[in-house]
Amino acid sequence: MEFHRILVPVGGSAADGDAVDLAVSLAKRNKAEVLVIYVVEVGRGLPLDVSLAGEMKRGNQVLNEAEERATEADYEVVVDLVQSRDVGPAIVDEAVEKEVDLVVMGIPYKRRFGEFDLGRVVPYVLKNAPCRVLVLREPGGGTG
Amino acid sequence: MSKDRENNRLWHRRPGDRVVRVHRGRVSHLRRVLGIPTLFSVGYGDVGSSIYYALGLVALSAMGATPIALGIAGILFAFTALTYAEGTAMFPEAGGSASFARHGFNDLLGFVAGWSLIFGYIVTIAISAYTVPSYLAYFWPPFKESLVAGPAMAMGLVGLLMFINVLGVKESSFLNLLLAVLDIILQVTLIVVGFLLLFEWPLLKSHILDFWPSTANLVFGVAIATIAFTGIESVSQMAQEARRPEKRVPAAIILMIIVVLVIYAGISLVGLSAMTPQQLAVDWPTDPMAGVAHEISGAIHPEEIALRVANDPAQVIVLHWLLETFRNMLPFLVAVLAATILTIATNAGILGISRVAFSLGDNRQLPPLFSRIHHNFKTPVISIVVFSIVAMLILSQGFYSAGVFANMGGLYAFGSMLSFALAHASIISLRVRRPGQRRPFRLWPNLNIRGRSIPWTALLGLLGTAAVWIVIVAMQPYSRLVGFLWLLGGLLLYSLFRWRARLSLTKSPEKREGG
Repeated sequence: MEFHRILVPVGGSAADGDAVDLAVSLAKRNKAEVLVIYVVEVGRGLPLDVSLAGEMKRGNQVLNEAEERATEADYEVVVDLVQSRDVGPAIVDEAVEKEVDLVVMGIPYKRRFGEFDLGRVVPYVLKNAPCRVLVLREPGGGTG
Repeated sequence: MSKDRENNRLWHRRPGDRVVRVHRGRVSHLRRVLGIPTLFSVGYGDVGSSIYYALGLVALSAMGATPIALGIAGILFAFTALTYAEGTAMFPEAGGSASFARHGFNDLLGFVAGWSLIFGYIVTIAISAYTVPSYLAYFWPPFKESLVAGPAMAMGLVGLLMFINVLGVKESSFLNLLLAVLDIILQVTLIVVGFLLLFEWPLLKSHILDFWPSTANLVFGVAIATIAFTGIESVSQMAQEARRPEKRVPAAIILMIIVVLVIYAGISLVGLSAMTPQQLAVDWPTDPMAGVAHEISGAIHPEEIALRVANDPAQVIVLHWLLETFRNMLPFLVAVLAATILTIATNAGILGISRVAFSLGDNRQLPPLFSRIHHNFKTPVISIVVFSIVAMLILSQGFYSAGVFANMGGLYAFGSMLSFALAHASIISLRVRRPGQRRPFRLWPNLNIRGRSIPWTALLGLLGTAAVWIVIVAMQPYSRLVGFLWLLGGLLLYSLFRWRARLSLTKSPEKREGG
């Protein structure tokens, strides 16, 4: 299977690094382009193009970490900061717009009410993304 | 990957799917993604909510001429919607009329437009919340009858929504769309069944002519009828989010204008067929749609209709059951749907205030306090709390006066008409002062004066909205007093802030960095 453009959405969780590593190793096979995005979610009570300094600072920090991780693996990635009302649609929109072949998402092991929980972003992307989606869960769980 | 490309075409964006690219810290461009159906349904969801209180409020003064008052206000609505289409396509910013006036004139008039808009939003919040208990009175009558239970519940609702918005809990775009669709289905059902069962031209004619208002009341009724079209500002905000706005926004707006006017005309004619304007104004002022549903329900006689329509006994039994279920469910459905839609309209008002106040703060037209975003909740907490409390103060008058409802109509017209008049004037001013500026959507037909083309709709809209505002100022002492106090307070706040920050009252200062 060949990939020419891979999208890695990052959100600042511990699983981001692994997702970048995996995307880079897949990309190296045929010199695919790796796009890393951080989505800033903006509530409906604010204009969409509002400048949320704190959020943007955090986003840039997360993107810098992703860039460094790729540099350590001797690979160059393209990073981007996006603002949207919802994270899921922003990721799918990016995948469509950039015509990516694969989305790689790192997710933490999270529990909600005692049960493993995927959150709302991953199911949305799995359902709506037109390309292949790879979900990389960080180690955890086990006994449940 | 050709299959993937094919799949790409199947991905349709929904409301809330708009994306802004920030490119490592700098906003570069907006993605405009909404299509005509989404623009229409979201716009209708906002504007359509006012039918649940406008009919009763207008009937209080326009009496038999209620459909005419709503029709004239509808024309003003159409003109204003078109002005917003041109303005929003030129300046895709959150401030609406405040942005148009800032670009078209100066910061001071931009502030007046924005401050008036906030006032309109506050009254929309109060009036939507005030009418929720009236519809819920179907389940517990004291909500409508008591001077304590109704206003207390309305204030509680505003307080709850204020809290939710401070926390920044997301509202569901899907729920809004679903409610807009259910709303249209219910209203069309009421109109069709109402016409079939209740419409009699001689009766309607007598309800109109026998209860024809005085000229002063008719004029005042037209002014109050403008409340039927609350939410127009929110439509403009959605208009920013359209791809190819020069084509899609006008199409969505024209579709919305047609549907809104048809539904308003239908409901008001059914309402006046079902009862006299007196009954509408006295018995159902705060829940007119419940009154319409009640009358339609009373006119359904399942056995009689079933025997008339069907021949086969089995068909008669089924039809009888269906009609009986519909008759029993109708008032319940109206109560639940109206309360839900009005609650969402209250919330839309709080979100609208939040955006406009943020925009004013961001442009240094209000102290930075109003645009300060809470580091944890990421919401403009001060704006939400302060203006929600003002809405609750207006509602608190309901504890000692049932007339607060009628007064709110005048208050809305005072704030919104001033803001809309400034929007029209700004679009005209921009045509004169910046004729060469790119206009993705350009209004037509135009009046040519000294080489400048002035849109007729904006000109007529300006005259109409200014006339309504003058009528309210001249005829409603309460709205005049409260409205001018609001304006005076705002201008004092604006002047003091600008003076202390050593800024010009009229010129736009540099924007502050960060959020």
